[in-house]
This record gives sequence, C-alpha cells and structure tokens, in this order.
Amino acid sequence: MSQASPGPGPRGSAPDHTETEVMIALCARLLEDQRTAFIGFGMPQVAAILAQRLHAPHLVQVFEFGAIGPIPLTPFVRNTMGGPANCYRSLAWTNMNTIFAQAQLGLIDYGVLGATQIDLYGNINSTMLGEDYRRPARRFPGAGGATEVASYCWRTIVIMLHERRRFVPRVDFVSSPGYLDGTPGARERAGLPAGTGPWRIVTSKALFGFDEESKKITLLGVLRGLSPEQVLAEMECKPLVAARVEELDPPTARELAILREEIDPAGTIIGRRGKA
Amino acid sequence: MTNPEQSVLRLLAEGEGEFRLTDPDDLRAWMRDRKRREFVDKTATAREAVARLVADGDYVSFDFSSYTRGPQILIREIIRQRRKDLWYCAKFTLMESTLLVAAGCCSRIDVGFLGLGDTLNRAVEEGRVQVTEWTNGTLTLRHLAGAMGLPFLPTRALLGTDTLRYSGARVVEDLFTGKPIALVPAVNPDVGLIHVHQADIYGNARCFGPGVSPLETAMASRKVIISADEIIDPEDIRKDPGRTTIPYYLVDAVVYAPFGAYPGGLPGAYEMDHEHFAEFFASERRGGIREYLERYIFSVEFHEEMLERRVGLARLAELRRRAVIKEGYR
Repeated sequence: MSQASPGPGPRGSAPDHTETEVMIALCARLLEDQRTAFIGFGMPQVAAILAQRLHAPHLVQVFEFGAIGPIPLTPFVRNTMGGPANCYRSLAWTNMNTIFAQAQLGLIDYGVLGATQIDLYGNINSTMLGEDYRRPARRFPGAGGATEVASYCWRTIVIMLHERRRFVPRVDFVSSPGYLDGTPGARERAGLPAGTGPWRIVTSKALFGFDEESKKITLLGVLRGLSPEQVLAEMECKPLVAARVEELDPPTARELAILREEIDPAGTIIGRRGKA
Repeated sequence: MTNPEQSVLRLLAEGEGEFRLTDPDDLRAWMRDRKRREFVDKTATAREAVARLVADGDYVSFDFSSYTRGPQILIREIIRQRRKDLWYCAKFTLMESTLLVAAGCCSRIDVGFLGLGDTLNRAVEEGRVQVTEWTNGTLTLRHLAGAMGLPFLPTRALLGTDTLRYSGARVVEDLFTGKPIALVPAVNPDVGLIHVHQADIYGNARCFGPGVSPLETAMASRKVIISADEIIDPEDIRKDPGRTTIPYYLVDAVVYAPFGAYPGGLPGAYEMDHEHFAEFFASERRGGIREYLERYIFSVEFHEEMLERRVGLARLAELRRRAVIKEGYR
C-alpha cells in the first residue's frame, strides 16, 4: 500500500482530497470539448462527466454498448454503463458492432481506460499475473472492450492508481496493445491502425506521456508537493523524464464541488481508494 | 495477371484457443429445416423452454449485460435444471458466469469480460473452468459472422496482443492491402438467450435502448429463447415495424417474464436492484455463493415464486418507481 494521498497542505496536514479525485480531475482536464471519446467502465465515466460539467459540455462520449453522445444524469449511478442514467440524452443508441466499427473507422479521438497493470511501452494487462498463462498466479476479468478502445482510438488515456507494482518493465500478459516492444512502427507492423496508441497515463501522483522515438513512458508532470524522484520511486519500471517536469495543480475547489455534490455524493467512486 | 504466389493467403499467426467450427452450409440447412416460418404460438414457461431447448454441452450466448436487460430468468432456470458442461459466452457478465460456474453448469467460458470475484478466478486458476481469451468486440463480431452465415470476419483488434495467442483468431496478410489482419471465426451458439421489452406470441420482439447484439445473437443462434417483460398484440408489431428488433422466424420460444431481467434493470421499466447486487457480491466475497444459489434459485420453483417470496412485491414496485427516465424506451 502506498502512503496516504498527497495533499497540497502544509506538511503533516490531512489531504483534503482522495487519490481517486486526483486521477479523475487530472483526466478530466485532458478531455477537450467537441471531441469524441470512447469511455471505459468506472473512473473514466466519472472523469468524462466532470469534463462535461466544466470545460467540455459537448464532449461526445461513446460507450461499447452503443450509446453515442449522452449527457449522463447525475448523481452518477455506479455499474450501469448501459443503463438509462448513463445513456441519458444520447444522440444515438447503436450497438457494440456499430460503435467499434466507428472507432475502427477512425472517428473516435480519445479512448479513456482504467488498467490493472501497465508497462514501460504502455501495454496493458487486465488478464492474469504469473509466468505461465495456464497456471496463473492471479486471474483478472480479462480484456473486455479495452482492446478495441486501445487499438482504434487516436489517443488513448489510461487512468491508474499510482502503485509500484502496477508499473512494470514488461507486463505478464498484453491484453490491450500499447507500443508493443517499443521498436519504431511496431503497432503498424502488427497491423494496428497507423498513428494510434497510448497518449497519456494519469495517476494519483503524476501525468505521463510517451517519448516520440523510444515510445517509453515519460514523466511530464507531478502533483504539487511531490518531487519527480518520489513519483519514480513508486514504480517498478524506469520511465524517461521530460526536460521540464510540470507541476500539476491538485483538484480545484470547483472540481471537487462538482465531483462531491453533483456527480458522486454517495462517494461510490471518489470516496474510496481507487480501483481500476 | 495475378502472380499465383502472391495470391496465397499467408498465415502470420494463429491463436491456440479452441472454438467450434460451423460449416455455413450445415447452418443453412438448419435454418431451412428448423426455423419455423409458420405463425405459431411459441409461448412457453421458462421451465418448458429451457427443458426443450437447452441441452448439456450447449454453447450458450446472451444479450446484453448483468445490469441491463439480461435474460436473468433464463439463466436461473438453466441453473435450476442443472445443465452441465455448458460453454458460456461471457461478452459482458459480472453475475451470470459466477452463478453458472458455482452451480457446476459451465466448464468453458469464452471471455470478453469474465466477471468479478474469487469464485471465478479460483475456478480458472485451478483449471476447473477452461477459458478462451477474446474481447468484447471480437466476441460480438464473431456473432455477426455467425449471423451473416459467413465462416469468419476480419478485424484490426487483437493484433499485437497476448489475447490473440490464447484466442482462436488467425492473422493473415490481407490479399488486398498486404497488411496483417486478424480473422475471427464465426460463432453460432446452440442457444441464444435474449430478454426484450415486448414480444408477440410468434416471437416478433422489440428491445429499446442501446445494447450489445440482440439481432446478431438471435440470427447466429441455432435455438433462440426470448423472454419478454410484456406480450403484445401482433397487430401492434405491424403498426410500428420500425421498432421490431427481432423477426419471429428467428425465435423458438417466447417466455412471458415480467421482471425477467431482475436483479438487473430493464431501461424505462424498472431499475436494477443495487441492494441485491450488493448482497450478491458480499455473499461471493465471503464464500456464500451456495447459499445465494439455494435462496434465489433452488429453493423456489419458478421465477414468479422467487419474485414474490424472496424479493417481495413492494421492492419490485419500488424498482418500477425508480425508473424515472422513460425517453426513448417505448
């Protein structure tokens, strides 16, 4: 377990936001208005709603169950990605084959996903831990629809709790593709759509991008009050560090108010330690 | 002139996962001989439909999720009748796969999303359930191939992943562009289970709202059981044909099933029962799935008895009250 969530306050004071709130706020800030975004289950949903309530009222969310462009009803109802609250005021209701076809066609700008484990090249594991696939040390639910999202969307954003064991040099199992082995053109050689791939990783402590050349995770920003060294110490893999590491503002009073009062007053997602 | 060497489809990779191959002409013969074109009353109880149409060893597929418009009444009936060795298609299941595995009904699962919790994870870790890796998208595409009477469809998903290695997909060099492309084999489930808002007695069915693949699942499946919250007049179907999701000749049985998606919700009709799911997950976590199965399935004879004695009419009325969003669902 990592330490309590990092707070902006003076040393020793209790943080006034949770780690999950940090991840969600940082992610929401990345989502642009009037763009299409394929939204995964859980935290990505809350981040997309927050973006919609703030700077991106016309963020067009799409879901694997085929809803296009909903303005989800709040308070957020956990678990019902295909239910009426999440699909409220959509532009269209389609189905899984149609919406994944539209992503494959190149119409979806962003993909937003939670992940269990990620590696230096942005490959995502949501299947199993262990050396031998046939004898997994731990079994997870599986790829779900994340493989399609990570394969087809132009820019994939991954939201993850910042824990050492979640950031590894190589994942035990590539459920959803990042930059594979990191060699130039690896995705295209595999047959994946050109010019796609992981773009940002948002954690409870930091923001990462990917180096143009090496395709390695690159530290772009750290939460105010943390040093790059502190962030990197909480990772098994060794990311690159940008020439200038940005200082990231913690969740603002406005972001927190919308999250806590409008979106998730019951605290079903934001009120506990995040789980991808 | 085509160079004959270039026209050979080059196999670049092949997953080791198992799947059942369907010969498209065998499938056509089935559709010719077994899917009735006559307008006959297909209504049946859940018990009759499952007894007649679901056999041990069948490949079973459902639409759409545990939480929303899932055919829960039919899943519970399959468990009650203790079917064995089912091969279950888990496109998006949090609950059904757990119940089927815990009840010993299911020995193989095609995974998009396996569900949550130790019951399933341990069954896989210990090899009691054999998993074949796919993704939600490729499982649904396999249903589309099955629904089109084609042996496979190409996709640009699975490429570059280990999921591919343990799936039944193959990667070839596309003859048209020369780029690698994944081919996924059709799936033609023995049984498709679909819960809908409304159906007539012949099987013409309507479901409202987004979904996974109700039509593809109905078209791809050899046997189709529809459970419907409401039975409507066939005249109503003809008055508004744009709203028909599934035409009658695809359907083998129609089960009248108010609250058939319970504990999941039916959009516009009733909300999912969050408290029930919390109870389910809690019992799963403390190893109490057997008690759950006993309480909600084995100790009651049929769906309506479970609703009355285990859930209660007041609770059901409350779930109807909670379904405040109606737009688009009727």
